[in-house]
Amino acid sequence: MIDPIFQSNNYEMARKLLDVSAQRHEAIAANLANAETPGYHRVDVAPDFERELKQRVANGGSLRGIEALNVSVAEDPAARNFRPDGNNVELEHELMAMSRNTMEYDYLTEIVSGNLKQLKLAIAGHL
Amino acid sequence: MNLIAGINVTAGALSAQKTRLDIVAQNIANAQTTRTPAGGPYQRQVVSFETELIRAGGNGTSALQSVRLGAISADRTPGQQVYNPQHPDAGVDGLVTMPNVNIAYEMVDLITASRAYEANLSVVKNARQMAKKALDIGKL
Repeated sequence: MIDPIFQSNNYEMARKLLDVSAQRHEAIAANLANAETPGYHRVDVAPDFERELKQRVANGGSLRGIEALNVSVAEDPAARNFRPDGNNVELEHELMAMSRNTMEYDYLTEIVSGNLKQLKLAIAGHL
Repeated sequence: MNLIAGINVTAGALSAQKTRLDIVAQNIANAQTTRTPAGGPYQRQVVSFETELIRAGGNGTSALQSVRLGAISADRTPGQQVYNPQHPDAGVDGLVTMPNVNIAYEMVDLITASRAYEANLSVVKNARQMAKKALDIGKL
């Protein structure tokens, strides 16, 4: 009976996206660490995940099994602006991406929290 | 999986940038040093960075690269010759070879290094905030 709450689309999705967000933070950390390493190419969460997710949402299908989707970090094919030393990290861009990502993470924790609070409310009748 | 994402990567970067600051300090301190154990004036030192594999990719995990100090090497450009016959290290023609340290370059390097250090610190700050939020899940 408790299953529907833990397997609602939003909850499942938020859980997966939290992982993605943490991975993206690692990628940004690597980019900023290597901001001055000659020949380094910026990395980000591979676009495969986003594509797959979009497809599932578009098909109106359930997000069941989304947990098993593979999320990896790969070189960002969209990055341009190579510097003469072969590095394409832009400091401002990374810092913006980082604050955006942190915000997203905060938002997702709120969703997961909200779900758990609902469950608690249902059990106890009060918060 | 770390509780604080990317902490290994950032740690490497912080220490690399700190070493760079040390080297800049050394260069500035020795801007007038005309005598070294190796003989001749002090030579400006430059650092270079290289990537360091923290985690190899494959099997559901992805590769992650940190940074480490590649090498500290001497800048081989010749130093300026200054006419100063009173100097103990002056040659017979009264010229002294000064170190090839340019204070303006060093200052720019100093600022770049401290900005890079700051950027990496903000990564840790954000990661800590994220970890805190994750720990707050389910709290009322």
